[in-house]
Amino acid sequence: MGSQRSEPQGSPCPGPPAADFVADFIESNANEYELFDNFAGLRNDIRRMAGKIGEYAGIPMPLDDDELVVEPSYRNAVGLIECGKHEEDPDDGDRKILVRNSFWSTSRRCWICVWEDAGKIGWTPVFENNSFYREIHTIGCSVAWGIEQEANAVQTLAGLVRHHQMKCYLLTGSFLERSQRSNLMYMFRKLRPTVVMSACDMATTRILCTLCLHPIAYYRESGAGCMAPTDDVIAHLMLMRGDEHMLWRRANQHPPWHPSSRIL
Amino acid sequence: MEVGELGILNVGAGDVKLSFDPANPAERMRAARIVKDMLRRGYALLIKVDEGGREVWRRALDFEEASCEYIIADFDPTMADRTDHVEVSVDTAIKGPEVGQDQAPAHEAGQAAGAHVRRGRGRRGIPAERTTGVAVSRTAGG
Repeated sequence: MGSQRSEPQGSPCPGPPAADFVADFIESNANEYELFDNFAGLRNDIRRMAGKIGEYAGIPMPLDDDELVVEPSYRNAVGLIECGKHEEDPDDGDRKILVRNSFWSTSRRCWICVWEDAGKIGWTPVFENNSFYREIHTIGCSVAWGIEQEANAVQTLAGLVRHHQMKCYLLTGSFLERSQRSNLMYMFRKLRPTVVMSACDMATTRILCTLCLHPIAYYRESGAGCMAPTDDVIAHLMLMRGDEHMLWRRANQHPPWHPSSRIL
Repeated sequence: MEVGELGILNVGAGDVKLSFDPANPAERMRAARIVKDMLRRGYALLIKVDEGGREVWRRALDFEEASCEYIIADFDPTMADRTDHVEVSVDTAIKGPEVGQDQAPAHEAGQAAGAHVRRGRGRRGIPAERTTGVAVSRTAGG
């Protein structure tokens, strides 16, 4: 964040190498879809800026009222997080309620918050947003993506998986693949965490957990990453294939009974 | 993706391709600098390699700009077996033989077991123009 990056050796031009190659690539592939997309202009401007400053993976698009959760070492992460951050309600005078503890209740499927107010201790169930709210929020965040970006990502995915897997993905939004290294079965899903199963046989299949990660950033309280949905799927798939340990290390692991797993 | 290409997952483009075409040295040099810079920034580069006739994906640990080669970890299981066998022989010599038997020096036991075998992973280079890959930037949780 804000750190100076050293220039690669032998660079003939000042600044990061090949600063405009992303912008050049995109300019040559402009299409008519952008005529109907009110956010296309902003998206293209951000894309050009990313190309000029050498951000090879691009810059997340900030949205009003949608807080970005950015990978901490990303350049200008602090500024991006501030965009769309919700303003906190002002304090109610001198009254202060202290949160003593909180824990997840499996039976109630909610958080239990234990608080103290002027010496009086009580508890309150705090329910997480249900999946419908997340889906509505994800639809709202979809303005950050373009049809062109998603189409490019789908083309890339088509070259990485078998025909049957691609057909499943296009028809259902998910597909299965078994890891050659750990023999675990992964279900890669669009806009949902990846489900990990230990599938020895039909009688003993067990869901271990779900893994959730997004390249660069994602929008809080939604299933939307800053990249097109299929790019997130590709990231999960390639990390599973190439470095499974890194996938597990970097992803947030959600237990299957938790609402964040998006299973129940 | 064609051979000699690296796809970079991109916010504004979906997927941007880098080409390592030997017929285009300028583009090749530019792509090499970009790959080196991406690795320095913590990107994960997943490369398709051939291991015993089987296509697998490995993460690139480094990149040689001069030769345009991805450097991946090379873990040969047969080498590991040999290493383990040598170490068991050496351990036995250090701890000593069973009661009643003559003791042998440890280094002679190691030499008798076989030639020098390096423990741990080696590295090997994969020419960039002969493989495909996907680059994933640093990730935030979810």
